[in-house]
Amino acid sequence: MDQLLAALDGAWRVLLAGLLLGAGLPAMFAFGVRALAWGTGGDAEIHADGVLPKAHLGGRIVAYTMFSLVVLAVLIGVGYITAHGLGYSITFNGIIPVITAKH
Amino acid sequence: MLNVTPEFILLALVVITALAFDFTNGFHDTANAMATSIATKALTPKAAVTLSAILNLVGAFLSVEVAITVTNAVIRIQNPDGTPKPELTADSGHALLLILMAGLAGAIIWNILTWLWGLPSSSSHALFGGLIGATVASMGWGGVKWVGEGTKLDGVIGKVVLPALLSPAIALVVAMVGTALVYRITRDVAERYQENGFRWGQIGTASLVSLAHGTNDAQKTMGVITLALIASGNWTQTHDVPFWVKVACALAIATGTYIGGWRIIRTMGKGLVEISPPQGMAAESSSAAVILVSSQLGFALSTTHVATGSILGTGVGRKGATVRWRVAGRMGLAWLTTLPLAGLVGAGMWWIGHLIGGSTGAFIVFGLMCLAALYMWWHSRHDRVGHHNVNDEWVDAEKAQQEVPVSGGVR
Repeated sequence: MDQLLAALDGAWRVLLAGLLLGAGLPAMFAFGVRALAWGTGGDAEIHADGVLPKAHLGGRIVAYTMFSLVVLAVLIGVGYITAHGLGYSITFNGIIPVITAKH
Repeated sequence: MLNVTPEFILLALVVITALAFDFTNGFHDTANAMATSIATKALTPKAAVTLSAILNLVGAFLSVEVAITVTNAVIRIQNPDGTPKPELTADSGHALLLILMAGLAGAIIWNILTWLWGLPSSSSHALFGGLIGATVASMGWGGVKWVGEGTKLDGVIGKVVLPALLSPAIALVVAMVGTALVYRITRDVAERYQENGFRWGQIGTASLVSLAHGTNDAQKTMGVITLALIASGNWTQTHDVPFWVKVACALAIATGTYIGGWRIIRTMGKGLVEISPPQGMAAESSSAAVILVSSQLGFALSTTHVATGSILGTGVGRKGATVRWRVAGRMGLAWLTTLPLAGLVGAGMWWIGHLIGGSTGAFIVFGLMCLAALYMWWHSRHDRVGHHNVNDEWVDAEKAQQEVPVSGGVR
């Protein structure tokens, strides 16, 4: 019984953090794709026949900001795996990751 | 010169079998990271397995902290510090080596059989199952740690059964939410434009899953080999593994990944859900996030279960997508049976090795394993699945049987 409760306790934490990262990142990427389509104009967006949407610089800036953030998140992921494998643990005190040796 | 004694031969057979297991671990799990990228043509099949193999190789070398205590979660053949139990190390560790040999043989046979059926099953479950079976045969039921004590997740229930039930469900929910969000946000974007964008995102997240796989799975085999070396008196440290073990394991898992379990890739990429690039990215992000978060929180889980849950989730999360629940059901059945059946084979192998005795017994176990593997490989030649036809249209099993009388199973 204790084991079941412990597992459920672990599970909801994983679910919460998983939703934030695992659903949040693709959503940000989707915003990037959406903004880039608006920024590119033309056939990138679904539009009425005959009127091609204009390109918008703002859209492209927003898009590449979004993509950079997603790339940054993936790099943090790689850094995390690397640090963990090399025997360091990472604690997220607030938002800034702190790397400390395990031994 | 090496002194070739019966003990040395037994040790060599255990090491070879462990590396063979690592190899099957690699090809069984290529699908976890790359099935979606192959199905959506974000990467060509060859490029996908190459990328995944390289990342697994790198990942294997990154895991300096090797789990020498890997077996402690489920069986009692090691002390808490990783050294083998003294009662098993007499006679150059013969008793312990035979348990490892039989357990690994059980795990390999189950891995190849599920590959033949095209079913993604967890390689860690197969390994634990085989070892549990061999341990029960050798030391009785008391040799297995069934339930952990108190609230620390441990034992077969806490480290294997509960995570296996919970992790696919978690991954499914995360991928479902991710997919729904992605489609909602990009609904005004032209389809071709949307798909090209997401192919890039997909490659990045799939790579993350491959890297995490290399760090997690290769070190299990490293732990088993090092345990065998300690038991036979060829190694003494419990905080480090010999460098050659690390190199051999890294190469074994990377080669396996490169060979690619195409049957499993096909089932995961085409069989469960017809995947589009946005779904692929949502699935891989979900898998990567759930795997990394759980390892941070110390919640043990199987990459295979997470990846399958994620793919099912993208099917549920997209309006109008078909999810083939029959295929998912077969998969679920394979998950439930992996541990007990690998255990039965492991136990059977231990009895054969024990009754014949000595290094002859170990040789017979090794030979039986090779024969079983060869037979299943030969059987797989009847309906080959490779990079050339991995993305062919999925035909439901029963329909296929009416049209062409081919051998059963998921094609």
